Amino acid sequence: MEAIAFYLFAFLTIVMFTYTVMSNQALYALSSMAAGMIMISAFFFMLNADFLGVVQIIVYTGAVMALYAFGMMFFDTTREVKENNSPKIVVLTLSALAAVLVVAIVSMPLMAEHITAAFPEPAGVVNPKAVGIVLFTKYLVPFEVAAVMLLVAMIAGIVLAGKKMDRSLTQMKDEEIAMMKQQDAERKVTL
Amino acid sequence: MDTAFIIETLVKIVVVLLVFSALAGFGTYFERKVLAFMQRRLGPMHVGPYGLLQIAADGIKLFTKEDIVPAGVVGPIFKIAPVITAATAFMAAAAIPFLPEFTIFGYTVHPIIADVNIGILYILGVMAIGLYGPLLGGMASNNKWSLISAARGAAIFISYEVVTGLSLLVPLMIVGSLSLLDFNEYQAANGWMAFAHPMGFVSFILFWIAAFAETGRTPFHLVANDHEIIDGFGTEYSGMRWGLFFIGEYANMFFISFVMAIIFLGGYGDGTVMGALGLLLKVAFFFFFFLWTRAAWPDVRPDQLMWLCWKVLMPLAVVNVVITGIVMMF
Amino acid sequence: MSLEQFTDRNVGQQHYFKVEIDDYPQTGWEKFKQVTRRALSGELFVGLWVVMREMIKFDIHTVQYPKEKLPIGPRYRAVHEMQRLFESGTERCIGCGLCEKICISDCIRMDTRIDENSRKEVTEYTINLGRCIFCGYCAEVCPELAIVHGPRYENTSEQREHFILFEDMLTPIDMAIKGEQKEYPGFGAVTPHEDARVKKTPLAY
Repeated sequence: MEAIAFYLFAFLTIVMFTYTVMSNQALYALSSMAAGMIMISAFFFMLNADFLGVVQIIVYTGAVMALYAFGMMFFDTTREVKENNSPKIVVLTLSALAAVLVVAIVSMPLMAEHITAAFPEPAGVVNPKAVGIVLFTKYLVPFEVAAVMLLVAMIAGIVLAGKKMDRSLTQMKDEEIAMMKQQDAERKVTL
Repeated sequence: MDTAFIIETLVKIVVVLLVFSALAGFGTYFERKVLAFMQRRLGPMHVGPYGLLQIAADGIKLFTKEDIVPAGVVGPIFKIAPVITAATAFMAAAAIPFLPEFTIFGYTVHPIIADVNIGILYILGVMAIGLYGPLLGGMASNNKWSLISAARGAAIFISYEVVTGLSLLVPLMIVGSLSLLDFNEYQAANGWMAFAHPMGFVSFILFWIAAFAETGRTPFHLVANDHEIIDGFGTEYSGMRWGLFFIGEYANMFFISFVMAIIFLGGYGDGTVMGALGLLLKVAFFFFFFLWTRAAWPDVRPDQLMWLCWKVLMPLAVVNVVITGIVMMF
Repeated sequence: MSLEQFTDRNVGQQHYFKVEIDDYPQTGWEKFKQVTRRALSGELFVGLWVVMREMIKFDIHTVQYPKEKLPIGPRYRAVHEMQRLFESGTERCIGCGLCEKICISDCIRMDTRIDENSRKEVTEYTINLGRCIFCGYCAEVCPELAIVHGPRYENTSEQREHFILFEDMLTPIDMAIKGEQKEYPGFGAVTPHEDARVKKTPLAY
């Protein structure tokens, strides 16, 4: 039962992501990638990691892919994209790397036999709690570092996007706008 | 996994599908009637007694209408988008306990399709996928209004997911579980979440506001604002494809009403018949409130909506979570 | 609704007042104050209460049109009617052609001949209602009160040609004999107190 589900979802995931890479049509790529993200969450569910599975859906499908779609709206998504084929060396290197990666992944179970979990899953604790316990004990420092990194990214985003936010072009006079433009030109750096 | 369980689940799925598809139809009827009464009109009156058969007439019209796929659209995506909206709306119903468990012909029925231990997160996740209906439909339509609507839909959805998540965090922290059944049991013992704790009340209000954005109902009805962007993502759709968008929207309204009633207003309480009726009454009130605001309140601008989300609701929600954490520590 | 109420329905004391628009808030503090004031003054709930009050009062103003109809004014200009003389029941139209002449959308067409009694007789008379703008000039200019605007405002048909038939507009002969034909009080008709207003006959000038 589980094996059937695994192979089904593995097949679907690979098909979806292959389509994402191969398609000339931006919308097809977008939707198949979103579908692939959902398929990946199926693996989490199969491993009884319900919490991570749902988080995968919410974060990747709900937020990240939606933001991709947002960026995609600057293009005409109903037309096919003309591609520039990259040099063959790059393609070959990447394929070789991917092949090595696949071999490594396939050989993982052999190595995993020698690994024992340092923090085995405590009995009688539901999934989200287990995630929380691991997150705030073993992985506390990486977790906090990631949080700080996100904070830095957020502040940087605000700085980049928030320039001149206190000024409104509709409420400014033409001379003021011209003056603003001139000041920007003199300063060379717009911030 | 025995056969009885599979059969029971299948029956429950079919019942939920049928009941809520029909309720979506009745929802449109109620909406038209309530809006009409509030505007001193009569609403639909001609088809059947008091216009009751209007639902059937609408259904026949939608089913028999020509299914137009305009030239220039991205065909497959265009066709699949309404299905996503309707399907995700009904998928969210899987983790909702609609009634307390009851015994029929000596067989105990749990009126919840799948009691997953992360119920509320599951609902949030599936509703997040529901965004793809309007988004893909709008982007595939090759229509500028649809595109604007898709952009607004994506922006609103991503923003209000934050408020929804943060406001749900407070009851999650208080109850300590993600299952809706646990929420119900906790409130049966300790009183309604919205009134037992002041933080619960704040998060109730925040979640309620965000629910309007998630379902795209009137104060935040920007994805399909008739007077500026026609029907938004639905502009190019016709017939039953458009009808699927509609069913999805109304089913979403019902399900989010259920979620609000169960998480914040005590659900079905102790599980008696009165409790079950109480749950249905609460859901009916929330649904009525969706219609009520549509009659009374104006729409806000998209920038005001974003402003409200990021500068008012999200800070409030974060402060609320922090206060709850402090209170729970001591 | 009676006719009097109907005609007076828009008459009343209108209290117009100018909406006072405050200046837009400039600084952040002013914006914050405005938002707090608006959020806490309960305006949203006033709106909710108003619509709820109307729902409870259930003062429905819908006219269920095909079942009930509003009365129309006597001067309403709907589809034309051709009147008959009261005593003999013959057509009032004398074929003078004034209506054809004055019609600004050129939709009236008539043909006449001299009959065996050497009287002018109308052989063809059509009004193309697809073109007619219902201005009422024909009724006003008619010296015999023969063509008038009736109260029939619902006209549907399978073909546009059905709108031009003289026979449909003419009062049926049996109705005229029974005296059921109503004199037209409206547009272009002689007003009831016309006798008092006429000082001299035109010939006296």
